[in-house]
Amino acid sequence: MNNPVLRIDRVTKRFGAVQAVKGVSLDIDKGEFFAILGPSGSGKTTLLRIIAGLETPDVGTVHIADRDVTRLPPYERRIGMVFQDFLLFPHKTVSKNIAFPLKMQGVLATGQDEQVRWALDFVRLTEVADRYPHQLSGGQKQRVALARGLVARPEILLLDEPLANLDRELRKEMEVEVRRYQVELGIPFVYVTHNQEEALTMSDRIAVMDQGLFEQVGPKLEVYAKPANRFVASFVGSANRIVGSLVDVNGETASLDWDGEVLNVVRPNGAEKGDRVELFIKSERIRIDKPGDGESVNSTENRIRGRLLDIIFKGQYADYLVRLNNGAEIVVSDTPDISAVSRSDEVEVSWQVDAGDCFAVKGEATPQVSDN
Amino acid sequence: MSATALTSLRHDQRFRFALLTFPGALFVLVFLILPLLSIVVFSLWRTENYEIISDWNIENYKVILTTATYLKFLGRSVLMALAVSAICLVYAYPVAYLIAKHGGRFRLILILLTAAPFLTGVILRVTAIQHILGPIGLVNMALTTFGIEPIEVLMYSNIATAIGLVYLWIPFMILAIYLSLLNFDFELLEVAKVCGAKPWRAFIELTWPLNRMGTMIGIILVFVPTLAANVTPKFLGGVNGSLYGNILDHQFGATGTWALGSAMGVVLFVVSLVFIVIVWRSVNLRRSGFTGMESRQ
Repeated sequence: MNNPVLRIDRVTKRFGAVQAVKGVSLDIDKGEFFAILGPSGSGKTTLLRIIAGLETPDVGTVHIADRDVTRLPPYERRIGMVFQDFLLFPHKTVSKNIAFPLKMQGVLATGQDEQVRWALDFVRLTEVADRYPHQLSGGQKQRVALARGLVARPEILLLDEPLANLDRELRKEMEVEVRRYQVELGIPFVYVTHNQEEALTMSDRIAVMDQGLFEQVGPKLEVYAKPANRFVASFVGSANRIVGSLVDVNGETASLDWDGEVLNVVRPNGAEKGDRVELFIKSERIRIDKPGDGESVNSTENRIRGRLLDIIFKGQYADYLVRLNNGAEIVVSDTPDISAVSRSDEVEVSWQVDAGDCFAVKGEATPQVSDN
Repeated sequence: MSATALTSLRHDQRFRFALLTFPGALFVLVFLILPLLSIVVFSLWRTENYEIISDWNIENYKVILTTATYLKFLGRSVLMALAVSAICLVYAYPVAYLIAKHGGRFRLILILLTAAPFLTGVILRVTAIQHILGPIGLVNMALTTFGIEPIEVLMYSNIATAIGLVYLWIPFMILAIYLSLLNFDFELLEVAKVCGAKPWRAFIELTWPLNRMGTMIGIILVFVPTLAANVTPKFLGGVNGSLYGNILDHQFGATGTWALGSAMGVVLFVVSLVFIVIVWRSVNLRRSGFTGMESRQ
């Protein structure tokens, strides 16, 4: 029987009038890199603090390695944690910072030295062992924080936006580095972030969180490619959002009126003619051509004419900003050398019907809110 | 920039520096350095029939350092200052800690309340204490009313003096520790807990060392005035409870031996200075986490 390392069962936490976490359940297995992705205020940090024992849930339980730790203080949970602002101890050297958890957990001095040396080597910081935190660069500080979190071989490592304070280039480097730590150590990492790129780069599974609830939990490719609802579709990946009403439904498919353009879409569950819907299409799933190039129109495809407003060169790809004939603007990501289109040219954009994710807008008309 | 332009810029900055520092420097010179110097000078002269005579000698110091009574009083004052500082520290730390950590938006009001006694003068406050601790004071009156023996040590003793001094100086200790804790990142304690530290370990490993500077300032602010105390022991200490400050005071009053008094003042100053140096050397400024230190970055 392979029990999960971390099991969260129907955890709820309220701060005054704000319900930060609303009955969330989750299992995380050994060796898993799990990201909790959500905007600020979604409750993701509160959930992480509940796992750490820095907050106590109002309802629900937390099990770590088959032990009910719900009522245990953080210092009895055998966990590691890495914080956004590093939070190194300013009066201790790098070595002493890293040795701290070992010292607190009563590891003998000789064992401490050996493990600190291992950790320093592991995060490649041996040469700054005797420096103080204020003498380190941002990346070095975060490595020290990671080493401090890992040195005592915790059951699980919790990371609270650890890369948010680093500049972009360093963040890219650290993403690879953090992933390496997790793979080599084989302990689960629970990584909280608002940055979808980080979550998609590093994790195995992602939970997308909003307003105290998980909107979708699944392997990262699934979350990216098959968003479960409007929130996930708009939050993960860079998608064009198209709002309109269904003018026709026909079995699995439907037609959407988007300011005068009629688009074929996959029919959302239970949606009927006249319902308001939102269609999300990731910009890399749209193609751009010169008009008349890829003619053969068929019903599995949408094809709209427009005028190219701008090309934003990004290196490996480029974003093409197109004003469509219905007045709306749309972003298309494609190879930067898409031959011979230039600004203010007449173009045609197209996408496969099943490339878009269409959801019924529930709100004013139908007040119930989906919470899966 | 040309060399002359640079020179004139430097000149300009120096002028501004002088202009800014002049008022403060003048104040310190007139009201601190000159009186101190005059005391040093007087201490090397002698007094005869209530008159001070400029006759250079070190007789006053010899008297102080060889007379058992003076040394005894000095020793008593040092002990008193150490004890009062220690009591204030133990008492003030939790108060400052609670206000800094849990005071929320009432922090400022709470900390100002600790200074409320300053709304009246020292004499009034000490007299109030006298009326609580003395033979016909609140405590002993209450006890005798119920037929219980009054507590002797509360009446005109060094213990009564210590209670009074703690009462007088504790706001400084609370304030110094509080200001230090304001700069302390309490999140570090969460890190420590996650690392496996029980709360008391986290205090010893982080809170105490990272706030040592503020704590030491508090200790100095209590120790130095306690060492020189004379009003409090006069009111609360009784006939046998005199401290160094009382006999020092005496030299300028009844006996009129100003030169000896000055020498005693200099000795007091030196003892205070030695204490401050000892305390100061125990603090590592750069890594104490105190305001404006680069370690915060």
